[in-house]
Amino acid sequence: MTEKRFVSTKVEVEGREEIKIVELPDLEPSPWDIDAKLAIVGQRVVRSDALEKVTGRARYTADVIRPAMLHAAFVRARVASGRVTRLDLTRALSLPGVRGALVAADVDGISHMGAPLFDTTIHWAGQPLAALCADTPELAREACTLVDIDVETLPHAVTLAASLGENAPLVRPGGNVPRRQPRIAQRGDVAAALASADFIITREYKTPCALHTPLEPHGSVAEWMGDDLTVWESTQGIFQVRSDIARAFTLPYNRVRVTKDYMGGGFGAKNYAAANTFTAVALARKLGRPVRCILDREGEQTDAGNRAASVQTVTLGALRDGTLIGIRADVKVAYGYSGWYASPAKIFHELYECANVNTSETFVYLNTGAMDSFRAPGHVEGAFALECAMDALARELGIDPLELRRRNYAQRDQEKKRPYSAKHLDKCYEEGAERFGWTHRRVGAAASRAHAGRLRRGVGMASQIWGAGGGPPAYATVRINPDGTVDVLTGAQDLGTGSRTIFAQIAAEALGARLADVRTVLGDTERLPYAGNSWGSITTASVGPAVRVAALNARSRVLEAAAELLGTDASTLDLRDSVVGIKGTERTMTLAQVGRELGDVMIMGQGSRGANPQDTAICAFAAQFAEVEVDVDTGRVRVLHITSAHDSGRIINPTLAESQLEGGIIQGLGYALFEERVLDTALGISMNPNTHDYKIPTIGDIPTIDAFFVESADVVANHTGARGIAEAPIIPTAPAIANAVADALGVDVTEIPLTPWRVLAALNGV
Amino acid sequence: MRLRVNAEDHELPIAGHETLLTVLRERLQLTGAKLGCGRGECGACTVLVGGRLAYSCLTLAAGCEGEDITTIEGLGAVDALHPLQQAFIALDALQCGFCTPGQLMAASALLTRNESPTSEEVRAAMSGNLCRCGTYPKIERAVTAAAAAMREAGGASARQS
Repeated sequence: MTEKRFVSTKVEVEGREEIKIVELPDLEPSPWDIDAKLAIVGQRVVRSDALEKVTGRARYTADVIRPAMLHAAFVRARVASGRVTRLDLTRALSLPGVRGALVAADVDGISHMGAPLFDTTIHWAGQPLAALCADTPELAREACTLVDIDVETLPHAVTLAASLGENAPLVRPGGNVPRRQPRIAQRGDVAAALASADFIITREYKTPCALHTPLEPHGSVAEWMGDDLTVWESTQGIFQVRSDIARAFTLPYNRVRVTKDYMGGGFGAKNYAAANTFTAVALARKLGRPVRCILDREGEQTDAGNRAASVQTVTLGALRDGTLIGIRADVKVAYGYSGWYASPAKIFHELYECANVNTSETFVYLNTGAMDSFRAPGHVEGAFALECAMDALARELGIDPLELRRRNYAQRDQEKKRPYSAKHLDKCYEEGAERFGWTHRRVGAAASRAHAGRLRRGVGMASQIWGAGGGPPAYATVRINPDGTVDVLTGAQDLGTGSRTIFAQIAAEALGARLADVRTVLGDTERLPYAGNSWGSITTASVGPAVRVAALNARSRVLEAAAELLGTDASTLDLRDSVVGIKGTERTMTLAQVGRELGDVMIMGQGSRGANPQDTAICAFAAQFAEVEVDVDTGRVRVLHITSAHDSGRIINPTLAESQLEGGIIQGLGYALFEERVLDTALGISMNPNTHDYKIPTIGDIPTIDAFFVESADVVANHTGARGIAEAPIIPTAPAIANAVADALGVDVTEIPLTPWRVLAALNGV
Repeated sequence: MRLRVNAEDHELPIAGHETLLTVLRERLQLTGAKLGCGRGECGACTVLVGGRLAYSCLTLAAGCEGEDITTIEGLGAVDALHPLQQAFIALDALQCGFCTPGQLMAASALLTRNESPTSEEVRAAMSGNLCRCGTYPKIERAVTAAAAAMREAGGASARQS
């Protein structure tokens, strides 16, 4: 009996677990374990596309210039709810240089953010109502101001209270709560556990609506050549965008080419085709010319996704020694007009050992821009509430917050009743506390408060867990050219994470090539094998193993060719630093010599990602420590220092990985201190749809950061030993900072961002 | 009108409302400077006008006649990188790279007027250039390292002459 070629495997993405049927690779190499002798993987090599980026030659979507290209801009709704009763394009189309427009009738059946594109019913302020196309971006924008629109304004609900209140306007025809009921998840008996607890704390936590704010807004360039469509897209998922376009316009997949070379930040907001994509494609077809459609900053901040605001009521029950015996959370999530169940409650079930957990989540539709994945969606919000509550409990119990977390260490995935592939959170606690100086900084902060001066120091910490196993499907090809250079081909994306670099490292290591000779090609649906979206911290652990297998297959082929050239057997050969040698002799041939002898014979290896281990949770873990200084007169918080200790399995390139950790921490710092979409609730519009009033961190806000990885290689997760990194660092930052502020002030901190007025309100018990 | 960009003269008809950024990107196809906000808030469009830092998204091209304009494309050559470019590469002071040209131009303006900036001075000078990937710690390190390398090179060439 032959073994099955296709099997089922579980893959977790953004907290959601899916079952996929995947083809098993022909080769499943033995894992690189902790003692594996690796020469290139694990090295701090320079980012392979750095030269393009520092010289301005890296080409982003808005840098694509096509012959005869036109430019599109959007007319947007200025009210949160209403009906368009008249939309007259006459004046706009008569402006010289304006070439066309797009309205609902042109894009029938295509949806954007949960509503028909250019819907004549207005569901949120910022919703696109029409697009204008002109010779220049400025003309297109000017044309938008000449569209005559009459709108009948309708009552809106832009807050949880308004949407859940009596006589609330219906945001969606089916009701303002999906399926009209909360989502409950539970194990054990929380009520009984809490009744027997020695200590119980209950707190209400609030988190803001945060905006991704990539420096490069969403954008697309579309060009038709006959029936063939090419789209340059700023995206985290070229294949996803291809299928979105093919479905929207009823096109065969093989007529749609989506490419992405460089992109200026996604953070979860750029996973699907959106209004900019559909508009560029539709206008390009209608007008017979290439069309570029790039969101302006206001469009980006109102109509391109967000991290939903939440209100979370948390109850923790513990025994005198700190053992958690009951966790209850009641969560309300301010969705916007649409979204998916990014669960703040999930981390309550995962992070600590606890037999009794009950969570209830109510997702609420509002007349605001739609929620979308934002770096660890749900977990960031939930971690803030859970980890702040843990500190409140620690204060109640008089136990060191770090010690409380150690006493409730989860040994296995309690929710799914399965082991972790590997878990070194204990090492993160230990090494993080050591490098941070947890004990002496706590003493120092307490001493600073004893003076009761204006500047008070505090320290805090938090930890995190995040699904980071990656999984199939993902494919790669490794091709050896006649001059001995190597191409790694895979349809993944590099968002600035460094995937281009680390795939070259993995391929060079597995093949035995010099890294300088290896180049990675990404981001083209027409010419590269499939890889999935760059989301859910999955790319390294998904695509990396496929690259390794492809390189190993290329290696065995090139060795067989060299064996023929050298008149020996392939098993006598070794390949290292691009040199083939007969073991135990001085006889060698470089890959370039092999290539020259072979000519244009194509030596290629194919690779794919195998199945995930069964019944195993594969996660990234981290512990983060923060020291802050609070000015009790002004309420200003300054973060002085952050130490972040991570367990993500093997690290392919520590420099690039640390860059990602720092980036996540800095985004978390913004979430903790500054970032908040502010709505005028009477008008239902955003008051800060720009990068001045929506404040992301600047270089002046940055503490000293010591972010590092505890040494490990996860031989269970996959054969490279690597797990994901990207989302882990943002999860514990806000609670670590808030806990430090609470420590500094000696009061509970329950709401972020910790703007000066919130700090003063907490201090004054308001 | 005549626009002098990266030591090359360009004769262009320019409308009064056109920003320097639009002319650089769409007319001269120098796409290194980026449009991030169009309001002088993010710094992605930073170039040098007469050696001084300018947000090209807020600068009218018509006002730049007779000025020497430097963009990222003119900061260094691929085979002779500016010390800032070398330091940004060596210290991984970039992630997605979208803000990088603006960061480099702001840093070059700083080092032109202050050859040994303190950490506080680097932060103050660079605080108008946002980076959403959060590369700031490494940007600060790279600017400081480049300043040291330039001082050393300057000292070496002074000793030679």
